[in-house]
Amino acid sequence: MATLELHSIVKRFKDNTVLDDVSLAVDDGEILVLFGPSGAGKTVLLRLIAGVLDADAGRIVIDGEDMTGVDAEFRGVGMAFQNFALFPHMDAFANIATPLEARKTPRDAVRAGVESVARLLKIDHVLTHRPRALSNGQKQRTALARALVGSPPVLLLDDPLRNVDAKLRFEMRLELPRLLADRGATVIYVTQDYKEAMALGDRIAVMGQAGIRQIGTPEEIYLQPAGLDIARLFGDPTINLLDVRPSRDGQGIHVALSGTRVELPAAMEPSVGRACVAGLRPETLHFVKAGTKGAVPVTIEAETPLNEKTVTLARTRGGREILVSRPAGTPGPDHGEAFLAVDAGSVLMFDKASGERIAAGGPAAPRKRATA
Amino acid sequence: MEHTSLIERILRGIALALVVVFFMFPLLWIFLMSFQTNETILSIPPQLFFTPTLQNYTALITGKLTSAAGTLDIAFMRNLWNSVFLSVTSVAVSLLLGVPAAYAFARHKFRGSEDIAFTLLSFRFAPPLLVLLPLTLYFQQLGLANTYFGLVWVYQLICLPLILWIVRGYFEDISADVEYAYRIAGHSWFATFRKIALPLAGPGIAAAGLLAFIFAWNNFVFALVLASADKQPVTVGALAFVTASGIQYGQIAAAIVLSIAPTLALALYAQRYLVEGLSLGAVKG
Amino acid sequence: MPAVVPTARRRSGLRISKRALPYVLSLPALLVCIGILVPFFAAVLYSFQRYRLSQPWNRQYNWGENYLNFFTDPGFWNTLRVSLVYAGSTVVLELLLGLGIALLLQKRTRLNNFISIMLLMPLMTAPALAALMWKLMTNPGFGVLSYLAGLVGLQDFRWASSPSTALFTVVLVDIWVYTPFIMILLLAGLRSLPTQPFEAAALDGVPRSFVFFRITLPMLMPYILTATLFRLLDSIQQFDIIYAMTQGGPGDTLTVFQVEAYLNFFQSTNVGRSAALLMILWVITYFLSFVFIKNWLRLRERARGEA
Repeated sequence: MATLELHSIVKRFKDNTVLDDVSLAVDDGEILVLFGPSGAGKTVLLRLIAGVLDADAGRIVIDGEDMTGVDAEFRGVGMAFQNFALFPHMDAFANIATPLEARKTPRDAVRAGVESVARLLKIDHVLTHRPRALSNGQKQRTALARALVGSPPVLLLDDPLRNVDAKLRFEMRLELPRLLADRGATVIYVTQDYKEAMALGDRIAVMGQAGIRQIGTPEEIYLQPAGLDIARLFGDPTINLLDVRPSRDGQGIHVALSGTRVELPAAMEPSVGRACVAGLRPETLHFVKAGTKGAVPVTIEAETPLNEKTVTLARTRGGREILVSRPAGTPGPDHGEAFLAVDAGSVLMFDKASGERIAAGGPAAPRKRATA
Repeated sequence: MEHTSLIERILRGIALALVVVFFMFPLLWIFLMSFQTNETILSIPPQLFFTPTLQNYTALITGKLTSAAGTLDIAFMRNLWNSVFLSVTSVAVSLLLGVPAAYAFARHKFRGSEDIAFTLLSFRFAPPLLVLLPLTLYFQQLGLANTYFGLVWVYQLICLPLILWIVRGYFEDISADVEYAYRIAGHSWFATFRKIALPLAGPGIAAAGLLAFIFAWNNFVFALVLASADKQPVTVGALAFVTASGIQYGQIAAAIVLSIAPTLALALYAQRYLVEGLSLGAVKG
Repeated sequence: MPAVVPTARRRSGLRISKRALPYVLSLPALLVCIGILVPFFAAVLYSFQRYRLSQPWNRQYNWGENYLNFFTDPGFWNTLRVSLVYAGSTVVLELLLGLGIALLLQKRTRLNNFISIMLLMPLMTAPALAALMWKLMTNPGFGVLSYLAGLVGLQDFRWASSPSTALFTVVLVDIWVYTPFIMILLLAGLRSLPTQPFEAAALDGVPRSFVFFRITLPMLMPYILTATLFRLLDSIQQFDIIYAMTQGGPGDTLTVFQVEAYLNFFQSTNVGRSAALLMILWVITYFLSFVFIKNWLRLRERARGEA
């Protein structure tokens, strides 16, 4: 119901520049996830949008209206805090009702509004409790209800699932997308959990180094990370990173892995002759029979069955560790020698010095060469 | 500590008993004295058992002291009223001025805020006469000499630093997010101050107010320098009373009891906050 | 679901710009204080003037004369000596006594808590009234303390009315009033100390004197420093107890800074000398409060951190 634009936002605390020239545009009704390690400025950015902090430079535009310098109460945003920030001296009902009361909503409408959002979030039975008497999950839902009740066109959610237990986090991760979609609000969602980011975001903005490192759909972030740091943040088990130096001969571009030649797509051209880091997602590696063309020989070190997948730790001839993930229940070697097929099209190549990704990989690329 | 010897326990007990006697005995003695007639008081050795009389208190309350020599007017009730009025008004003014300032110092680190806060604190430690003596001259020029207004103003020196520094601590203890949440919900800073900050700092504000009241009540030098008889609080009045009533020791004792009873009662009531208040928020009890 | 209410974009009403708000909030308090700074600067000027209330026509700047005169003025040296002796003896005695009592009451038993609350009563008694109470108790005619002194052979112990015992008497009253202050601060400090070092020491059978001097005292030091400086700042300026008890007498036995300045002003109407005395006292307290505030801040941060 509203668009949100940030133009060249700068925020400093003393000598520490937290946000340096950050620009961002969020579409009407879009869910944008701000993802990044703690200290990356996610929460600060959220507070700048909410208007409780002031940027040192830059403009914030909500629905075409310049909100720079406008007080928080006039911005029409809703916000849920990581630490809930409930009013300890008011019961849950009064907590949730505060946005409605601010607009002088008639008493009946306040009651109807609070009760309906409370029912939706399943906290209608604890509305008379003070925050002190609420469980963590109920606190989190109360905070969420308070942010939602006024149907604000822009909704800011600061890691709302951070401080709740695993079970509730799992439930909410399923519930939230529907809840937010129903609202139709433009949402900025902060999280440090990449699964949450992938599950919720229409787009993900990865924050780091006082700005946005990369912005894109979850697929783009996962399959075409802009740099090593981002590739490492997404995926479980984490991406395999191997130092390589691609070279070219008459047959094409290739790297050596475990003494075996692994062909690379022609698009990897810029990486030739440079010190690089190859990124191999554990799920893009497959065990194949001995003798398969281009198969990389490894030694199986250990196997860890997780719920939905099995992770194997293998070692190359050169002594480098590689994690391989396959769906649980599928057959695979559990000891001794084994052979890995590397899907050349999904190899991510990064410049070792800068950490930036060099050439495009991605499954969409039809230039997959038969290596299997 | 469980294996302390019997001797040590006895020694500790004796030491504690001596401490209690030293600190409690004067209060007890004056309290007993206030129920004694002058004859009992003057008898030697001092009497522990006597028939209590309320005559000292009635004399103070009616303001008439009847003796063989005739009747004497006592203005003590007036002093008591002055103490109540000066302390209550000073604390009220101080809260009105100090609480918003404490909020500003706690929430907005603006330029010069720390300097101002410390200047206020330093008033607590400057020699009061340094300000009071020139003030007597200024107050005469301004027409503030011997007025409640002037006294209440100067009493801010006692109340304001105390309230500012204690209440500031309480405001700092409120999570800023809680206030942000209320602002984002659509409320003005003033509504946030009134509905969130004030209620949450309420106990601290009350405690600071009570302590400021105690210190204002117990103050002596301000009124000694700036007030004449009709505006003097009990601390100064009692001293004048000693000279005026000469040998009416029972009444002096009764006056002392009436003068210290309110602060002692308040102190016992607010004892949970005393440590924090006495150290200006440096130590929590 | 309530219909979406368009956000009211009111920008009128009680709106103060964010930048101005803190200044607006603290302005009234500031104005009151500025009013108090004026007499302070007046006092600075007075201290450089020949200024007697009884001879207003003779008022003029004599610059450092008031201060220079102090060098040859036995009255001044007496004031300095008495003030320092008073402050020194009260603070040392109160510190020792307060620490001792705090250690006695350290354990959180119901009796100890009750006693520590009772001991607050002297501290909450107005010092001027406390002085009056002790005056009644040391009255040579009927005072219970005079009687008790007589019982132990001090028939002619004249308390505050004799130059040889006046200082002892006012120090005693100061101790009665203010020891609880040190006690309550140190008690709070003792009770906030972490327990592990003490448990470890007890397990290892470390002697208790060693525990006290090597663990308890060092850990308690910030509290001791704050309490001591706090008291020192007040004690060097003591007025109430001494004035209410003896008005500086007998003779000039107890003419500490503030009492001497008060008498100079109101009795000899010598404003210049009075102001110069107070300026010297102010310089002393200013430096003390500098040290004090540093310690105090550290403690305050610690207390806030625990909250």
